[in-house]
Amino acid sequence: MVSRKIGRRGVLATGAAGLVAAPWVAGAQAKTLRIGMQSIISGPIALLGTSSRNALMMEQDRINAAGGFLGRPIEFVFRDSKGQPQEAARVARELVNSTGCELLVDAEASSASFAVQEVVRDLGVACLHTNSETSSLTADPKIRAPTAFRVARQGVHDAVAGSLYLADFATAKKLNKWATCSPDYAYGRDTTAQYLQFLKQFKPDVEVITEAWPKLGQPDFTEVITKLIQAKPQALFSLLYAGDLSAFVNQASVYALFSQMTMATPNVDYPVMAAIKQLPAGIQSATRYVETFPDVPENKAWGQAYLKRWNERPTNWSWQNTVAMQFYEEAIKKANSLDGKALAAALTGMKIKTPFGADGTITMREDHTTVGYALGWGQTTPKEPFIIDIKPADWGKIVEMETEWKKQQKYI
Amino acid sequence: MSGRPALRDALIALAALVVILAIPFFHRSPAFEDFVIRVSAMALFATSLNLLVGTTGMVSFGHGMFYGFGAYAFGLLMQMTDLSLPVAAVLAVAMTTIAALIVGAICVRLGSDYFAFVTLAFQMLFYSIIISWQSLTGGDQGLRGGIPRREIFGFELASQLHLYQFCAVVAVLGLLALRHVTESRFGRTLRMIRDNEHRAAFLGVVLWRARLGAFTLAGGFAGLGGVLAALFVSGAYPELADWPNSGQAIFAVMLGGIGSFLGPTLGAMILLALNDAVTRVTEYHGLVLGLVILISALGLRRGVLDYLRLIRSRRAPSGESR
Repeated sequence: MVSRKIGRRGVLATGAAGLVAAPWVAGAQAKTLRIGMQSIISGPIALLGTSSRNALMMEQDRINAAGGFLGRPIEFVFRDSKGQPQEAARVARELVNSTGCELLVDAEASSASFAVQEVVRDLGVACLHTNSETSSLTADPKIRAPTAFRVARQGVHDAVAGSLYLADFATAKKLNKWATCSPDYAYGRDTTAQYLQFLKQFKPDVEVITEAWPKLGQPDFTEVITKLIQAKPQALFSLLYAGDLSAFVNQASVYALFSQMTMATPNVDYPVMAAIKQLPAGIQSATRYVETFPDVPENKAWGQAYLKRWNERPTNWSWQNTVAMQFYEEAIKKANSLDGKALAAALTGMKIKTPFGADGTITMREDHTTVGYALGWGQTTPKEPFIIDIKPADWGKIVEMETEWKKQQKYI
Repeated sequence: MSGRPALRDALIALAALVVILAIPFFHRSPAFEDFVIRVSAMALFATSLNLLVGTTGMVSFGHGMFYGFGAYAFGLLMQMTDLSLPVAAVLAVAMTTIAALIVGAICVRLGSDYFAFVTLAFQMLFYSIIISWQSLTGGDQGLRGGIPRREIFGFELASQLHLYQFCAVVAVLGLLALRHVTESRFGRTLRMIRDNEHRAAFLGVVLWRARLGAFTLAGGFAGLGGVLAALFVSGAYPELADWPNSGQAIFAVMLGGIGSFLGPTLGAMILLALNDAVTRVTEYHGLVLGLVILISALGLRRGVLDYLRLIRSRRAPSGESR
């Protein structure tokens, strides 16, 4: 009896020890080059992680078919941080320290990307942030890390491009009375303020007559919608995104909001359009990702390949992760190394050819962020291609205004 | 009387510390070192909570507030001043202790149900302050830009080995101090209050004063755990002060054993190892963790260490009789 009891306990103890020891044994080096990817893969904004992961899987196949990196096949290790910064920091360290990843793709949303940034600063490994749009991540020299780069759109670029387009649009349509409706947290409040600051600079007679700040993931927008309709603005600017944006549009259609004011939002993506039952025509919208902009065969082919493989359309995050791998590919070729410092030197100032660039190229600027990516504004239409009359943004003007903004923030 | 057990505790702590510090000289494993660093923070956090839950019988749902407070106070002191790291850490713990004293002064006189809810309410209040006071705390983005880890006596805490050594020493000393508190006369008073508060009151114990003492001390030690957590992530984030984090500490206490001093430390180890192992395999980590906790709660009906002690005490007399 006694010995059997001990036996069972022994098994339990061994199992527990194995569980605890597993991560430290698993770090064994193989010829395969492991690349750590972390993001939000569960919960209500899992689309961020899954649509990034899908794109990276396609890149993994493409790169391996072409011989891998430095002759080694690549393999992604995907981890879910649940979007929590302290968990993101842990996962990043684990990917490098115990899973043996030699490169990182940080596909986290903003707050977790800042946590990853600090880990990268400590470890000195190369890292590409592929989804964080918060400008200060790379614009603020105190926050910028030597071996971390952003391959994603940047908040301030979007704000300048959007405000320029909307100022012209407002002038043409004589829209002076505006309302805003954005999510109630740092991204929503800061970025709305940034758009309005630029918009008022380009069109000083714009007046904001009401503001609504729904909570993230709010299921019922009735209160917000009635408040907006009662204020009688001529136009509505919104930074709602993903499920919140589709829920808002669906509910606002019931109240005929779109016949009473013009809506403008930079956050329309394919899955959002798919979740809207009847996409209203004439919403002024930025192109996060559309197959028809830039209107080149490679872009269309990539979008179709993605659709075919995953049975859904790509998001803005998908192209950003794809371009990140294109940057890694070129930088590794140039540096002939995986070392963080060597790759950082190779990446700085690098220009690559890619169908997602405004002129067929995207550049990694000295301040560790990408410029020259496709950025345009148009208007929605209920049928394919969903966004039409797309006007490309003027990158010269964007960089000029961005520099001014950086001076205001005392970043330069 | 109490001299001998205290000496024994100190020797055990010393032996544990020697072993932990010796490991990297034989084998360097960054993953193991990270794990120990995280356990250090979590063990202090959970054990300090157990001073309330297990020793005094006060179930606090808002203990994460002090963990977060310690992390933010330390991070802000390091970012905004030129203080040396130990001074900033001591100040951060002192500030957390004062915060715990203030919150405790309001909470400890309440009956147990209201106490639990009011601590939760204070935590939510504190969390909301972190989110809204953006100019100071960075709001929901957290304290960005990293915590400068200034050298202390040749120790560079940006180096993983040094951080490992620092955290191990702080955690062992912190746990030893908590052990002394629970074994002291004050600790015995707290247990008496837990077992029968009316008897304690009749014997002349001022209940609220003893409870406030326990609450304040527990807050201070949770703050110390927060300092270590901030060092690990090189930042402070609102999640550290949010209620799910308090829940983690409660889980650690329940999982490891409420009635054993090292129970919460063991619970912290199991919880962290489980989290790491499960997130590696599946996206449904919440489901798996929930099942494990459910099985251990319904199957063992007590924490792991309490269960092992129960088995030992059951076997000991029967062994003698044989």
